[in-house]
Amino acid sequence: MKTSARELWTGRSLLVFVMFITIVPFVSLFVTALHAPGTYPSGLEWPDEPHWENFINAFQAANMAELLKSSFLIELGVVPAAVLISTLAGFALGHLKVPFSRTIFVIFILGLTLPFEGIIVPLYYQIRSYGLLNTQWAIILPLLGLFMPFAVMWMRAHFVNMPVDLSEAARVDGASTWQLFWRVHVPLSMPAISSLAILLFLWTWNQFLLAIVLVDDPSKRTMAGALGAFQGQWGTDIPMLCAGSLLILTPTLLVFLAFQRQFVAALLQGAVKG
Amino acid sequence: MTDSRRTGSGLNRRPSASDRSLTPEARRRADRARRLRRGLPALGLVAPAAIVYAVFVLSPLFATIQYSFYDWNGVTPGTWAGLDNYKRLFTDEELFGSIVNAFQLILYFSVIPVTFGLIAAALIRKFGASRLALVSRTVLFLPQVIPLVAAGIMWTWLMARDGAVNQFFRLIGLGGITRAWLGDFDTALPAVGVIGAWVSLGLCMLLLLAGMSKIDPALYEAARLDGAGAISEFRAVTLPAVRQELGVAVIITVISALRSFDIIYISTQGGPGNSTLVPGLEIYYLAFFQREVGQASALAVALTVLVLAVVLPLNRLARGKEDS
Amino acid sequence: MSFNPKNRRDSGARRPAAVALGLAGLLSMAACSPPGTSTDKTTDATPSATAAGLSATPTCGTDPITLEAYVETGFPVFNELTAEFEKQFPNVSFNTREDQFAVITQNAPRVLVDSPPDLMRLPQVSELAKLGLLYDLDGYAADFGWDQWPSSQLEQMRVNADGRRGDGPLYAMGINFSMTGVFYNKELAAQIGMTEAPTTLDELDGYLKAAKDAGITPMAQFNGGATGGLAFPLQALMASYGSPSDINSWIYQAEGATIDTPENVAAAQHLDGWIKAGYFADDINSMDYSLMMSRFIGGESLLIFNGDWESGNLDTQMAGNAGFFLMPPLEEGGQLGAMSAPLTYGISAKAANPDCAAFFLDWVATDDTARTIDIAIGGSHPMGPTDAFMPDIDPDSVTGQTLAAGATVGENNGAMDFIANATGAIYAKSWTPNLQKMFAGEQTPAGLLSSVQADYEDEIGS
Repeated sequence: MKTSARELWTGRSLLVFVMFITIVPFVSLFVTALHAPGTYPSGLEWPDEPHWENFINAFQAANMAELLKSSFLIELGVVPAAVLISTLAGFALGHLKVPFSRTIFVIFILGLTLPFEGIIVPLYYQIRSYGLLNTQWAIILPLLGLFMPFAVMWMRAHFVNMPVDLSEAARVDGASTWQLFWRVHVPLSMPAISSLAILLFLWTWNQFLLAIVLVDDPSKRTMAGALGAFQGQWGTDIPMLCAGSLLILTPTLLVFLAFQRQFVAALLQGAVKG
Repeated sequence: MTDSRRTGSGLNRRPSASDRSLTPEARRRADRARRLRRGLPALGLVAPAAIVYAVFVLSPLFATIQYSFYDWNGVTPGTWAGLDNYKRLFTDEELFGSIVNAFQLILYFSVIPVTFGLIAAALIRKFGASRLALVSRTVLFLPQVIPLVAAGIMWTWLMARDGAVNQFFRLIGLGGITRAWLGDFDTALPAVGVIGAWVSLGLCMLLLLAGMSKIDPALYEAARLDGAGAISEFRAVTLPAVRQELGVAVIITVISALRSFDIIYISTQGGPGNSTLVPGLEIYYLAFFQREVGQASALAVALTVLVLAVVLPLNRLARGKEDS
Repeated sequence: MSFNPKNRRDSGARRPAAVALGLAGLLSMAACSPPGTSTDKTTDATPSATAAGLSATPTCGTDPITLEAYVETGFPVFNELTAEFEKQFPNVSFNTREDQFAVITQNAPRVLVDSPPDLMRLPQVSELAKLGLLYDLDGYAADFGWDQWPSSQLEQMRVNADGRRGDGPLYAMGINFSMTGVFYNKELAAQIGMTEAPTTLDELDGYLKAAKDAGITPMAQFNGGATGGLAFPLQALMASYGSPSDINSWIYQAEGATIDTPENVAAAQHLDGWIKAGYFADDINSMDYSLMMSRFIGGESLLIFNGDWESGNLDTQMAGNAGFFLMPPLEEGGQLGAMSAPLTYGISAKAANPDCAAFFLDWVATDDTARTIDIAIGGSHPMGPTDAFMPDIDPDSVTGQTLAAGATVGENNGAMDFIANATGAIYAKSWTPNLQKMFAGEQTPAGLLSSVQADYEDEIGS
């Protein structure tokens, strides 16, 4: 297949351009974070004297050690449980015969389009009646529920594509459903499971609305949730806000970079297979 | 590869001897009963997910529907309001305006990234395996990885009167059009839209690129042999093949437009005036600020219905041709 | 996403799902009683609110005690006061949480019920009092002698049984009361020949024009997001054109009060005149409070409308270069009014340590060190009797000027509450969008006031 040099070059420069647009805001955030606190630097300009200590001050002022701990607790509460129960459900719906499976599946799918704002109000009163307001459980439990539609759909899509002969062979060998699941399918599904885990990790970390409504204490929220209270903390001390935002971004960036290849590939594959 | 969707030709359909003596009606009933019994353990596997979902999503959803018929301030007992809250969605300028704004955002959050992503992917697919492309995959995905509020903060700063965007315009001689983009009545909503477009652009491009990489090169050869130029090649080969990915991209971005909250909360809080007010934000304000829980719930229900009403047909469209 | 549309047509996932959902929907509507529980409304018989059974005045005792406080970010005066208090009373420690003004306003009813603090910054108390969420402070007022102070200090924090303000039990206490007006940059003023404060509105208009002609931005006022700062100059103009007590009636939700009066329309038109003449910076609709301050301190605008909570800050950052004056009247020697409101703090009806919280509030107003901190850091006049201790303040400093202005306004009976506090949501939902629209030319002065009045009537249900 011949592709003209001109096509190649147009494509390349376009790609570089798009990457540039993607990166510029991050760069701007970084550069602004280095300015003296309280100033309003104009545009993108490197400060005369970079204030590297802004990062340290932002970390302390926003109590980020607490925040990190809180976010990790929330992640621990959400991700393993969500992955487990959705894999179980996806396996059942996608690979076994479940009565009413289509109905059940449709009910899950409808939840995919549900905006969180649609249920945030009663969720508040519900969590309050459990006495869990202002604790990490206030974020963990609803997220578990809210992630189910996507997670179940994701895992089901994976299991639907698993060859039936494999299960048949295992059954012939005398495997029970349980063993079938754990010994045969789970190991085979690691790519789907791990990319789901990463996705859920990111979405939990970045969860904002639930955090600011259900948890008043900023140090018990997710990192992203704290960003909202953060903005008020300094009126808008822009350099500090930028420094703080970068600190909050960094964990997700690191996780993503660590798993990126596997993650991007699986995500695109999964979405495509649908 | 066999058709992996279970068509029932699986393990559980072997009729037993006793069945043959029953009428077809009774046989069907017995069949169903047997399936139910056999399926119970499998149902058990679905149970945890279903229960969590029912308790924390479905139950609040019904509660929202219930609240929407009351006039309630969230503290003292509410009073029945019938359909008043829903009527007000059409008569109140602010409420109706928020819905209109959400639809306008679809243009920016969805149409622009998808279109641009489509064109860009088509141009880029030719060297999809090169180093540049691999690096770009990581880079382009970054906006999806960060919290939406962080994106909002970045761009709020970039679009300020003295921000980098205006700096750029001044640099290329367009100094005349500089302004505080998020503070100007005419440009605030598009400016917010730009933020959303930025967030989704990379994702759309990567999705479509992945779809395009599945296309059999032989099809392109054939097109070339028939004398097709780049554009007809795109229309005839590329576009039809990525219908599914296109559908996914459009649906995801449309949903994010209709239920936007984070970005607007951080950047404009719905202002100036109410020009960037969207339902997501308005629900939050109504319920927790103005203590009009009933009205907030009605808007929430309307939003949910709207999202469904837009997404289901889109889904049909994306799937329809593919299945035929 | 394996939703195969073909499957729909046979036994169909749609039908059972739809039926299930529909049934559940009907059930939810039919079965349930209205949402909400009746709060155990603390009526006027709040326990220990009366002096009966208490020793002379409530104190914090000697046992270790932790006071929970929920206050506003960006105003260090509270933290300075608590630090001093902890020094003087070592058995007391404060656990203070901070949040944005807007978040506090919105969180108030929930927090007061679900995690009641002992002290909470409350911009607007009438609704909260009506819902029975706040501690009735009349008992403490009697015990500590607050009712001996000038009544205008406490008036704004009284709410009667109908939810109208101005009289009734006391539901909040201030740690100082602020004064607002016009701050100006002396250097820039000298450039246009303004060497002393204008004495009439016309004079002020003249200076604004001179500044514009000289290429100086006359005014930069925060007006972006959810806080429309143009309400400051608007209210100041309203006091010059009309009567402060009428404005107060409207804020207090008195029967039949309206903001849509000919005098107020004239004031709004005057503001609109300034807008159309280009006297404001062009990006105020996206300008927030900090940006306004930053530009003013940086010498980019001639004047701003703000309050004395910034006096301390300006004395430090613009030493000798900042001046203050009240919005001039229409004619020389005419009516002077200014928004002057207590920095209100309330005690939750369910607070764990109301006595100690009340004692703290009293201490702020009566202890010499506290009063000094209040003025030095907070910039505003402390509450308390008129002859209470006042530290020495340089009369030329901004703080000195604002304090002097406070005395003037007091003499003139021109103190008003903030028009933004008329109802819980009038600021964010009505004043702010309308002011932003007026700045952009999409709302007329008359339209502004009638729109706000309509929203006001909607909200208070009258």
